[in-house]
Amino acid sequence: MATILTVDDSPSMRQMIRMTLEPAGHSVIEAGDGAQGLAKAQASRPDMVITDLNMPVMNGLDLIRALRKQPTLTGLPIVFLTTESSDGAKQEAKSAGATGWITKPFVPAQLLAVVGKLVRS
Amino acid sequence: MSFADATAVFRQEASELLEVLEGTLLDLGLRPHDKDLVDTAFRALHTIKGSGAMFGFDKVAAFTHEFETAFDRVRKGEIVPTQELIAVALAAKDYIRALIETPDETDTIIGDAILGDLTQFVAPRAATAEPTATATVAAPMQANRPAGWKLYLEFEQHVLRNGSNPLDLLEDLCKLGPCFAVPLTDAIPLLDEIEPEDCYLKWDVTLHCDCDRSAIDDVFMFVCDEMKLRMTPLTQTDVAPQVVSLGQDMVVQNALIQDVDVQDEPAVTVVVEAPAIVPEQGPVAPSPVAATPAELATPAAAKVRREEPKRSDERAVATVRVQAERLDELMDRVGELVIAQARLSQLAATSADLSIKMIAEEIERLAGSLRDTTMGARMVPIGSLFGRFRRLVHDLSRDLGKPVEFVTSGEDTELDKTMIECLADPLVHLIRNAIDHGIEDTAARTAAGKTESGRIELQAVHSGAQVLVTVRDNGGGLNTARIRAKAEEQGLIAPGATLSDSDIHQFLFHPGFSTAQTISALSGRGVGMDVVKRTIENMRGSIDLSTRPGQGTTVTLRLPLTLAIIEGLLIRVGEGRYIIPLSAVEECVELTPEDQRSRGRSFLNVRGSLVPFLRLRELLHVNAAADPHQKTIIISTGECRVGLVADQIIGSHQTVIKSLSKLHSDVTIFSGATILGDGTAALILDVAQLVALAQAKAEKQMNEAA
Amino acid sequence: MSIAHKQDSSAATDRALQVVMIGLGEEKFALEAELVREIIDPVPVTKVAGARAFVPSVINVRGNVIPLADLRTRFGMPVADASVDTRIVVVELKIDNEPVLVGLTADKVYEVTEIVRTDVQQTPRVGMHWRPEFIRFITKWHEEFVIVPNIERILN
Repeated sequence: MATILTVDDSPSMRQMIRMTLEPAGHSVIEAGDGAQGLAKAQASRPDMVITDLNMPVMNGLDLIRALRKQPTLTGLPIVFLTTESSDGAKQEAKSAGATGWITKPFVPAQLLAVVGKLVRS
Repeated sequence: MSFADATAVFRQEASELLEVLEGTLLDLGLRPHDKDLVDTAFRALHTIKGSGAMFGFDKVAAFTHEFETAFDRVRKGEIVPTQELIAVALAAKDYIRALIETPDETDTIIGDAILGDLTQFVAPRAATAEPTATATVAAPMQANRPAGWKLYLEFEQHVLRNGSNPLDLLEDLCKLGPCFAVPLTDAIPLLDEIEPEDCYLKWDVTLHCDCDRSAIDDVFMFVCDEMKLRMTPLTQTDVAPQVVSLGQDMVVQNALIQDVDVQDEPAVTVVVEAPAIVPEQGPVAPSPVAATPAELATPAAAKVRREEPKRSDERAVATVRVQAERLDELMDRVGELVIAQARLSQLAATSADLSIKMIAEEIERLAGSLRDTTMGARMVPIGSLFGRFRRLVHDLSRDLGKPVEFVTSGEDTELDKTMIECLADPLVHLIRNAIDHGIEDTAARTAAGKTESGRIELQAVHSGAQVLVTVRDNGGGLNTARIRAKAEEQGLIAPGATLSDSDIHQFLFHPGFSTAQTISALSGRGVGMDVVKRTIENMRGSIDLSTRPGQGTTVTLRLPLTLAIIEGLLIRVGEGRYIIPLSAVEECVELTPEDQRSRGRSFLNVRGSLVPFLRLRELLHVNAAADPHQKTIIISTGECRVGLVADQIIGSHQTVIKSLSKLHSDVTIFSGATILGDGTAALILDVAQLVALAQAKAEKQMNEAA
Repeated sequence: MSIAHKQDSSAATDRALQVVMIGLGEEKFALEAELVREIIDPVPVTKVAGARAFVPSVINVRGNVIPLADLRTRFGMPVADASVDTRIVVVELKIDNEPVLVGLTADKVYEVTEIVRTDVQQTPRVGMHWRPEFIRFITKWHEEFVIVPNIERILN
């Protein structure tokens, strides 16, 4: 099915995402910070990116902006993980170019639903 | 990987975050105005909360949430953290740890009490935002749902660039019920002005569904800011659907619709047939979990690497997590490789084949390099251990009412990782003793003219082939008289016996021995020092006490750098071969003829200085005739030099240390064994023991001569 | 020869006990098979000065340096020279609750077999110093007396 890049500095979070998506037939690539995420996105051209916002080296917002600058990655669905329900964070991320968001904590079904919503074959 | 494994990752992560939190809180106690510290603490809490909820640690998430809320005033800079506040925060951190590690045994009453205390110190606190039921705004349920909706959809031009696809959204709409979408093409520019990645189409949609606003909002939740959405409810009397199906091939993406004349009025009716399924609520149901109160997005978290001893300066050192067992396995393989390589070298030495010799040399070089690198991978700075003790000292000092300054140095000193863990308990014990028994209470200190605050110094330093870890206090020192009295009381010394002070101090290591007047909750049960000594000795280390009455006590732990591989000097005594750790070897000299002849002498003359010596033949019960030219190997443990007399020095031998089994634990002159190139086992001489023996012998002889 | 299986421990009951039958001096000893890890040919031995008499040396077995014990000293039997039949039986014991590998010298290894504990009159032998605590029980096997030693006691 889809190849999804998950960018988060929390290994347990990446693990959770992997364990949710892989059984559904998706393949998952991991990155531990924004810079890694950018590199892997350029190299592997995933079908979707799920990223945290607070990360060292390069945070999620900068990652989203950087990804949007890549001509080869236009239209790439980028979803960010947020514990906030505040509009501020969402606005910021949306203006940076994010497609959508998932609130933490999430239930696996939600994650799969968002993936299903944004990744169509 | 199973869920259990993922939870283990969470626990590991949480454990590290809690450590960061503790250190940060302690630092905050020293620098209450440091905003960065508060932010760091908050980030740690935040991550624990989020991950905790993910892995089912609901109590952790809930408590951390409350804690965050209560601590919020500190974060906003409205109040400055006091020592009491820090203490409560530390208690909260412990509670969180308990909730993660032993959830069944942890009573929520503790958590409530902590929050209560916290409120007191922080009152009046910011009103906790009531956890809202859903993450998104729930639309008011309409008493009578409409039969459907009429929608007008207009997207921002760039909506496609951000990964959203209006066609997909239309499809999602249709999952709610039969719907008709009519594209409005009036905004499509001329061909040469068209940006292929922009969206120029709008839609009028008629959706027949028994759903309310929120279902539709859900479909567009991600793009609601990038579109105009107008909804009007349909009544029952609206036009029934006419189903005309069209292929899905209409690619709107690059707006090059062959069939549409861009100048014309929109004429194409696109009907997307709704699948015959029950309309779902919407593809993304918001999670009914307590949402966090409104918080500003936290700045980029500075992740503290596991090995990093200093929290305040973050260095981006690339690290990789490796499971400890894998490192151990790696070490074992490297060890076996080293042994095999030694055999190869031995064979090659006797071979006439030059190319084999060269390869053997190359392999020797590579194996050595691999060994060094692998050993390096196992080395961990001792600072990771020191960090824990700050909390210990803080708590003890508070519990006992004795102000104590805690100073550490040598955090960067590296030790084999297996040793670090074994050191933790002994050091805890020594520090406890130092504070409990060593440091006097404030009254006694001021009376003695000392500073009110006691001082504990924890230091680690490399010394030759060893690491020296010292715990030094400036308390009252060991009370030799009382130790002696206690020893006599326990029947360990005969009343009149003459013993040196240091001999008397050794009784502290006797099981069950304690001179504490009162047994405090912390120490004094006498279950400590003997275990400490045994643990250190199991690591092939040694423990020393030195004290100055009224001024303080220093406990010195000497530990080998690594338990795994050493460079050794292979010697022969009689028929047997033995290894002396090369790092302890200072030099090798030939025995002078006079030294050879002397039987009763205990000192060698080495370039003018007298060095006590041992004849290994005697020590190792070798009966056969001695070789004519005996060799002396001068070894040292840093302060003392001793000569060991052997029959032959064979050469150097790098080797994997194998421990001797328990059945030989009584033979203290050997610290371990190794396997030589020919497959036989050779024993490794314990340098510290030999030095002690030689000194004792020399002293005895001197006393007898006197 | 390597014995890799573990068995249900059958304590000294009437159930059959799987053992490795070895000869030591004039006597036959039965070592519980579940303790035996392997049986190897003699290897070069390294003497350990200052060790207790029944564990005088160490040997290298698969990269592990393990003690080589001589049960003869514990039973007051005279030391004999090695012969072509001499073998080393490597056993795994629990000492202070931790597993320890120990090699035992055997003048001869007969076979792996089953014995049953039957009531046997313990006949004192001339020329041998019995220490009852070193022996679990004595039984008969093919008309001969066989000693089932308590190895953990012997080596502790």
